[in-house]
Amino acid sequence: MRKLLLILFFLSFHVLNAQDSNEKISISFTNSKTIDVIQKTEAVSTYRFYFVASWLDTDKVFSGTYVDAPINRILSDLFGDTVINYYIAADNRIVLSQNSIIYDALPIDFFGEEKKDIVDEETKPVLYNSDVTRKTSGVETIRIGKESKNSKEKKYTLTGKVKNVVTNEPIPNLVLTIPDKNINEVTDIDGNYSIDLPVGVNNIEFKSLGIENLKKRIIIYSDGTYNFELAENLELLDEVIIDADKDKNVKEAATGITQIQIKDIKTIPLVLGERDILKVATTLPGISTAGEGSTGFNVRGGKTDQNLMLLDNAVIYNPTHFFGIFSALNPYTTGDLDIYKGSIPAQYGGRLSSVFNISTKSGNKKSFKGEGAIGPVTSNLTLDIPIVKDKSSLIMGGRATYSDWILKALDDENLQNSQASFYDAIIKYDHQINENNHLETSGYYSKDVFSVSSDSLYDYSNMLMSIKWDHDFNEKHKSSLIFAHTRYDFNIKYDGVSNTDFDLGYKIQETEIKFRMKYTLNEKHDFDYGISSKLYNNEPGNIQPKGSESIVEPLNIPKERALESALFISDNFNISEKLLLDLGLRYSFYAFLGETTQNIYAEGLPKSDGTLINTKDYGKNEVAKTYGGPEIRASARYAFTPSFSFKASYNHNYQFIHTLSNNTTASPTDTWKLSDLNIKPQQADQFSVGFYKNFDGNLYELNVEGYYKISNNILDYKVGAELLLNQSIETEVLQGDGKAYGIEFLIKKTKGRLNGWLGYTYSRSLLKLDSEFNEEIVNNGDYFPSNYDKPHDLSIVANYKLTKRYSFSANFIYQTGRPVTYPIGNYVLNGSEYVFYSNRNEFRIPDYYRLDIGVNIEGNHKIKKLAHSFWNISIYNVLGRNNPYSVFFVTENGEIKAYQSSIFSVPIPTITYNFKF
Amino acid sequence: MKKIKTYAIFLVTILVFIMNGCVEEIDLETLTFERVLVVEAVITNELKYQEISLSRTFKFEDGGAAPEANANVIIVDNFQNSYNFTEILPGKYVSSEEFQAQPNAEYQLIINTNDGKTYNSKTTQLTQVTPLTDVYAERTTDSFNNDGMAVYVDSYDPTGNSKYYRYEYEETYKIVAPYWVLNDFVILSYSPPFRYTLKPKTSEQLTCYNTSFSKEIIQKETNDLAEDRVTKFRVRFIPQTNPIISHRYSILVKQYVQSIDAFTYYKTLNKLSLSDNVFSQNQPGFFASNISSVTDSNEKVLGFFEVSSVNSKRIFFNYYDFYEGEPLPPYFVECTFGAPFLGSFPGDTFLPPMYQLIDEGKVKYYRPNPNYPNPQNEVEGKYLVVPIECGDCTKLGTNIKPDFWE
Repeated sequence: MRKLLLILFFLSFHVLNAQDSNEKISISFTNSKTIDVIQKTEAVSTYRFYFVASWLDTDKVFSGTYVDAPINRILSDLFGDTVINYYIAADNRIVLSQNSIIYDALPIDFFGEEKKDIVDEETKPVLYNSDVTRKTSGVETIRIGKESKNSKEKKYTLTGKVKNVVTNEPIPNLVLTIPDKNINEVTDIDGNYSIDLPVGVNNIEFKSLGIENLKKRIIIYSDGTYNFELAENLELLDEVIIDADKDKNVKEAATGITQIQIKDIKTIPLVLGERDILKVATTLPGISTAGEGSTGFNVRGGKTDQNLMLLDNAVIYNPTHFFGIFSALNPYTTGDLDIYKGSIPAQYGGRLSSVFNISTKSGNKKSFKGEGAIGPVTSNLTLDIPIVKDKSSLIMGGRATYSDWILKALDDENLQNSQASFYDAIIKYDHQINENNHLETSGYYSKDVFSVSSDSLYDYSNMLMSIKWDHDFNEKHKSSLIFAHTRYDFNIKYDGVSNTDFDLGYKIQETEIKFRMKYTLNEKHDFDYGISSKLYNNEPGNIQPKGSESIVEPLNIPKERALESALFISDNFNISEKLLLDLGLRYSFYAFLGETTQNIYAEGLPKSDGTLINTKDYGKNEVAKTYGGPEIRASARYAFTPSFSFKASYNHNYQFIHTLSNNTTASPTDTWKLSDLNIKPQQADQFSVGFYKNFDGNLYELNVEGYYKISNNILDYKVGAELLLNQSIETEVLQGDGKAYGIEFLIKKTKGRLNGWLGYTYSRSLLKLDSEFNEEIVNNGDYFPSNYDKPHDLSIVANYKLTKRYSFSANFIYQTGRPVTYPIGNYVLNGSEYVFYSNRNEFRIPDYYRLDIGVNIEGNHKIKKLAHSFWNISIYNVLGRNNPYSVFFVTENGEIKAYQSSIFSVPIPTITYNFKF
Repeated sequence: MKKIKTYAIFLVTILVFIMNGCVEEIDLETLTFERVLVVEAVITNELKYQEISLSRTFKFEDGGAAPEANANVIIVDNFQNSYNFTEILPGKYVSSEEFQAQPNAEYQLIINTNDGKTYNSKTTQLTQVTPLTDVYAERTTDSFNNDGMAVYVDSYDPTGNSKYYRYEYEETYKIVAPYWVLNDFVILSYSPPFRYTLKPKTSEQLTCYNTSFSKEIIQKETNDLAEDRVTKFRVRFIPQTNPIISHRYSILVKQYVQSIDAFTYYKTLNKLSLSDNVFSQNQPGFFASNISSVTDSNEKVLGFFEVSSVNSKRIFFNYYDFYEGEPLPPYFVECTFGAPFLGSFPGDTFLPPMYQLIDEGKVKYYRPNPNYPNPQNEVEGKYLVVPIECGDCTKLGTNIKPDFWE
């Protein structure tokens, strides 16, 4: 028995030593007595020894030479073969103890009483005290009781109290967990706990919001009491949240859910120094973009306009800057991004493919904090301002480019005439009115200005505001009232040499009110229901002559208005431990409102100027056309084991708003069109099934998911369609059927020094444009691949933390080349050569692959300094792969030339300096 | 300060990079190939032998259009007139008689190809006849701030029916060889002993004229304007550095009034053949014309049958009208002097360099070499020569003055 304890004792040494200070000592001894060695060491270092002189063996002599040696090396040499044990406390105190005495003196109730006072080290041999308990960041071992030969119990109960070390207040709702044994307990309101532990070694972890995560090793041999004192730790907030949700993928009923947290992406390599949560999203299965430098996301074979992008509950129409190269979301204020690409909750609607729910962090309610970054293209500053301590706070973030003035300052005329700048700002106010009422309000603005040639200037902006009031009627009944308003607009100013200068503008606004209730009936039923209504105000475009000489006729395409309303209810029905259903129903109702004039075309003929037979006028607020219907949102989960489940879901969606774009990829000057008499809403049905398995206590996640999606009335365009300022858009568009299917694999390592994920998707996205009229048929009316059909998509994201200061990261992306319409021959017309094109999307551009690497270097960890900082060095496209973004053909001097364009064809290194204060 | 500058350059590099992306020319290869009929048929209201061209699409690696020979081409109207076309060159068909498109008549093109297929056009009417009000030139800058000459047109249709215009031009310019001299170097003996003489030129080589035709699609619509008026529409811009405006320049601008269908067809064609910028491209694809196959409705046909009214105007201007006292644009080629070795060494049977260059038509005699003889360089020749284009304008144009030249 004695031997066993001795071994345990020694085992714990290594752990205890782990927190040694870094002080190095150079010293040498020749046949010195132990007491002399101690005194000499004290003389050359800051270490102070605490011991009882009689313990030391006065006969023993010691020799040794040390150069820059850590203290524990000297100590282990000195005491290695003696009965003396040592303990190095954080403040360089070294406490010696005589092994046998401690063992003999370790009473059963040693931890039985709360020890608030530091034991008098001078007189008593002390191994542990409360001071040590709270300061240790490594794993400390605590022994409870003494093994008795008579003991037959397999489990013992440990009870005690957990207190906040600073305020001395009890910590309620603290989770005590033994992950490998699946034992979990929570402290009560007074911080008391009682946990049953199997005999022997238990690795216990403590978790709670705002409390430092702590691990202890408890060796239990009898029932006992132990009190813990824990420190607050606000900086680790993010990590705690993640741990709470770590088996979400297996447990929830919904399919196709992805959550990204900004903390996860801190170390991912950057392009031009910008941290970008949306770019990270595209490394996950099922989410892709048409290419670098294209705005918009294609989710599970859907068009870019089929995503409901919400920033603090308000729709953001264009969440990118600079042609999609940068995201318009401030990385420092963004909290989480939840992506629903499979089951879309009944509370969301109006877009076919996905919901991107982006939420802004709440400001720090305790102290003023700031964070910033200086990069090659933009600089960034975020401030956390507490307004009323613990009650309300403000977070403000701003970001701007400083490229513009540099371009202006240059000698080169072409560059002088160029312009490219953007900025965005966000503010969020958070107020905890009382226990039952919580208010959040956000405002956001982003603007881009750029010019491609000297005579035209483009700009676009997003403006968002939202208010959310959460009110709890009681424990079971909770509500949220949301008001959100969004504006997106763009302008083109043309100032050329002739008298056709103009100012062209586009604007869309939407205002939504949503009331959502959550009702927990009992353990089995969780209801979520509500009503929402959204008013669209679309100004499809106006053109004004610029200057008095301009002969451009002012034209204003009449405003479009529509009301999109919905009733929704869903029940999270927990049938048994194993079976969980999420049954949702949404009823969408859409009304296109006057004042409007609608074109009526001859039936059975293609819509064109020639077949227009009549127009019909509608008065203000008169309903011109209605669409709508029920949307089923159902999903089910069957859990084989707590960490292995199967899910299936079915979804139906309506979409009443469409982008108009005759570019292959989305661009910031695409306009939107509301469904009206001649343009029908898009609809989609999606079926998905998946298997989800977590290994090693959620350390590894494995998800496999398949889907099949059919859609109707997807908008496409006639070749070279004119979409801007067109009063009869319906004559230029085609509506066809879509079909998409795929299988997605995701394996994720969530923690550890090496973490990251690997995602692979095989998918297809097809379109069919058929009609009885020749001019409306594309590819003979057969299914053809959409512009964003990329069957193979592989992403690997890996982070490796070398030390506390250095971490490395890399991502690798491989995608099948995007389909293109390829020229298959030439012809001559009027002396010029032209290209004769293949069927639409018959060929593909070369495959896309890219490797990025990055290094994060944290500043030093001195406590007293102005700001905490870190450097990020990234290289984008390390392999210098000249990834073709597109292949296009130009007739130059009567000859055909083929060009391939790529956005980043060489490695792009960037360095960013980030700071926090 | 230096640091800041370096930084600025770095930033700008990045921005330029982003804005222009990286565009490089690539080699084309035909993956699959369809031999599709291409029809070029614009009938106008000018009384003349109307022309129609037929060809087939060709592979990128092949040189040029394959003419479609031995076809039967005919135009019929709704007054039971028919106009037969005969093939004068492979793929080139000319009406057997002179005719002009008449208002109110409806024309249809019918083609029977050698392989037994029949193609029809939709019936088409002559568009509104609208004269060009004015064609004029001004010195200005283009959107990249390059100095140069712009040619503008004005047109006005009080009826408001024209709306859709397409322009073509034919430019003729005078060329003056800058190193023209009276004498030519004439070889008398091509074998040893080599002999030559200097004697006056026998043909006009100082002043020539050259004509070229517009190739791009130039269109203008007035649909969005308050009245059907084309004002100061630029059909041509010639940078000051272009030698064609060095002396006297003439441009004939032709204005075609198009139907909306023809206008849309050409506009789409043009849109697909221009690159906008890296970030936005049009959806390319096949687009239907007004000609289709009677035999197989799925067969693709390229080109458009158009019946257009046409009106043209010619203007002239001189370089010094706009650039008085300013240096001329650089010449078409760089005129560098050379002094090839004239003599030969005993026993040599090949032509001396001077003879050879003259014989190959690469250079023209200019004048005696003032450095001759050059002790440092014994092979320096006795005469200075210039590239042939600098001494003989017929290499760049014709020495026959066009009839319209004034």
